[in-house]
Amino acid sequence: MAEAFLSDVKVLELGDEKGEFCGKLFAGAGADVIKVEPPGGASSRLNGPFYHDQPDPDRSLYFWHYNVGKRGITLDIHAAQAKALLEKLIADSDVLIDSLPLDTMAGLGLDWTALQRINPRLIYLVLTPFGRSGPWRDYKATDLIYLALGGPMMCCGYDPKPDGSYDTPPIAPQMWHAYHIACNQAFIAAIGALIGRQTHGNGEMIDVPIHQAVAVSTEVDVPIWIYSHKPVFRQTGRHAVQRITPQAQFQTRDGRYSMLLLGITPRETAALIDFLTAKGFGNELHEKFKDPASRRGPEFSACLNRALAQCMGAFGVEEIWREAAGKRISWAAIRLPEENLTDEHWRMRQTFARVEHPELGETFDYVGAPTLAEACPWRTGPRAPLRGEHNQEIYRTKLGLDQQQIEQLHRDGII
Amino acid sequence: MRPLEGVRILDLTWVLAGGGGPRLLDALGAEAIRIEWRDRLDSLRLAAPFVGPEPDKSKPRGPNDPPPNINRSGIFNDINSGKRAISLNMSQPKGREVFKRLVAVSDVVVDSFTSETMRNWGLGYEVLKSIKPDIIYLQQSGWGYKGIYSGFGSYGPVAQAISGLTEQSGLPTPYPPAGWGYSYMDWSGAYYCAIMMLLAIYYKKRTGKGQYIDGSQLEPSIYLTGTAVLDYSVNRRHWQRSGNRAIARPAAPHGAYRCAGEDRWIAIAVTSEEEWNALVREMGNPQWAADPRFGTMAARVANQDELDRLVGEWTINQEPFALQERLQHAGVPAGVCQTAEDRVERDPQLRHLNWLIPLAHREIGTWPIKNVPFHFSNAQVDQGGPLRRASPCYGEDNDYVYGELLGMTAAEQAELRKEGII
Repeated sequence: MAEAFLSDVKVLELGDEKGEFCGKLFAGAGADVIKVEPPGGASSRLNGPFYHDQPDPDRSLYFWHYNVGKRGITLDIHAAQAKALLEKLIADSDVLIDSLPLDTMAGLGLDWTALQRINPRLIYLVLTPFGRSGPWRDYKATDLIYLALGGPMMCCGYDPKPDGSYDTPPIAPQMWHAYHIACNQAFIAAIGALIGRQTHGNGEMIDVPIHQAVAVSTEVDVPIWIYSHKPVFRQTGRHAVQRITPQAQFQTRDGRYSMLLLGITPRETAALIDFLTAKGFGNELHEKFKDPASRRGPEFSACLNRALAQCMGAFGVEEIWREAAGKRISWAAIRLPEENLTDEHWRMRQTFARVEHPELGETFDYVGAPTLAEACPWRTGPRAPLRGEHNQEIYRTKLGLDQQQIEQLHRDGII
Repeated sequence: MRPLEGVRILDLTWVLAGGGGPRLLDALGAEAIRIEWRDRLDSLRLAAPFVGPEPDKSKPRGPNDPPPNINRSGIFNDINSGKRAISLNMSQPKGREVFKRLVAVSDVVVDSFTSETMRNWGLGYEVLKSIKPDIIYLQQSGWGYKGIYSGFGSYGPVAQAISGLTEQSGLPTPYPPAGWGYSYMDWSGAYYCAIMMLLAIYYKKRTGKGQYIDGSQLEPSIYLTGTAVLDYSVNRRHWQRSGNRAIARPAAPHGAYRCAGEDRWIAIAVTSEEEWNALVREMGNPQWAADPRFGTMAARVANQDELDRLVGEWTINQEPFALQERLQHAGVPAGVCQTAEDRVERDPQLRHLNWLIPLAHREIGTWPIKNVPFHFSNAQVDQGGPLRRASPCYGEDNDYVYGELLGMTAAEQAELRKEGII
């Protein structure tokens, strides 16, 4: 089997759903990730959806998705007997991901100074809601609140009414993107620190405030404000910019939607007009706007919109986008995520992976690799740990406890 | 010291989905050298807003001059901060010979061309590897090289549409998808561009081996669709939008509520009884809140339409930031839907975190640039990179790269300039 990028890296993950996606990235890149959960199991095990819609901490699809490839142990980190065990685990780790409530580690006597004493080579990665200090330090947040304060929501939603006012709220795109955004950047920082350590051998502490990570991840709204002091306006399915742009999303014959990205280059516009004409919907465009220089302004937009609406409305959502895309037109089906499972392109690239669930005797399709690296393949699996699944393996083999000690810890509610 | 000091990247990327990747490595200390040519400029160099006069492509120019005013785009300045830039005509065989000399002294080559461009230039991985055996080559194309769609182009909105991210955002049917009001997959594409380069650099330092990586903008997009694929695979359930409502655990009220002012909204997420009780107190214990329809979390979730209406009636005349402060003080998760102006001009927390840092540009002066959101305790890491500057002007580092790095004489460089190569 080919080697993984991070096959020599050991990661310890403490905390909740804020940092789980980062641990998942480490596992995908081949690191050995141990997730430490409280004795009853991590709170994210209560997140739905569930296997056959039956709530069960070992059957949360949320937990499966964000913890695939990790090993799991239980430990009540607040118990007095836990500290020595935790210290041993930290001493044997390269990276510690901490998304516990602020100051928890310091409260356990494990602040950065103490951690460095235990393991001077440790990369200590902390995901904080708003940072470790500052006026909003103790604000409470959820995915929705981060997407509000960080800016994505004010860019996303529906067109205003003709008078410019909005009768729909800003929209937070669903699926935990605040955590995706923060964990992607936290992972970047951690690998950077690991590379630095290859040179100088020293550990590092990195704080990633989720609010800041989200706030820097929008696209043009901030530069537009900085350089021209103008606001942007949210619009259905297209960029929030300073003016209202032509419609870009159209209903297809089967009641679904397709999109078209307009006005990228004159070459694309010409290709689009040719394409619409070939399909029988571009005659008016072709006649009225022969001269490429005339292809601008509201009249052109309205004419193009009519042709697009008619053409898209005449075909099913999957029917003609490939043909258009093959002519380098930015035309795409608006798919449901699961519709990609049967696409030959992703099958060839092994974008999805089958993961076995021996406890159920079943195998399921998971989203697999974010990229194709054949020399160091991405890993998807084994499936997420059941509660305390690796307690024996880790407490006994790795930490050298005997069976009696493990049973005592269990009886005391420590693990 | 910066963690990536000594790592050199040849940056053949475009726009944000590509260009943002090397930017992040610059912040970590790498040296990214943008390779540009005047006849086929990155569209961001020509993208508003500009500082001062706009670029004018139609203006007559000398055969060896770039178009006027191509160093003045604010967006380009933000996305390419910390990088170096050289001019090099890769479409000429002689330009490609110069490129090969650069490969010999670099660690990473990254491009975001459509899939065949580099191969057509005779610069596929095998060729790069024969020049520098441990080279890392990341081809960050739209759809990926392997597969049936490798010739298709992609922008953020295309990646979002195909992956399902667009369909996942918005109010329930009969509303259409709202999608994303920006190219989410531009920054997110850039994150994976950075991630793959970093993983390959780590691996190379450990094993001495370089590699080719077939990256894309589409696959990270699929990677970010959360639990929807699994829900289908396990439960055969198709994705359905539900606006701003909570999807993983019962939570209500949970949404954006209108406040005083033009298009002002506050997001409120009540996830527990404790938070509900605190909200009711802040609302002044209205009679409706005691109604059994809102007596438990399950009841509030079941009656969300009515609940949202009533909460909205309470928020509508309130100043949003004062309300945010008050609710947070009471322990209720709440936050204003902030605009760019809010974040730049007033957000005290972002200011405290130094999220914008002043960086100098040779032509347009010093501007605030978005800093990376990771705070290192030991290493020096910020968006100025080792050069401590904003984005490069076209060809700004020709002297350094051709003179210092490649050791070309002034006469040699003048000859290449005359031939339209640099």
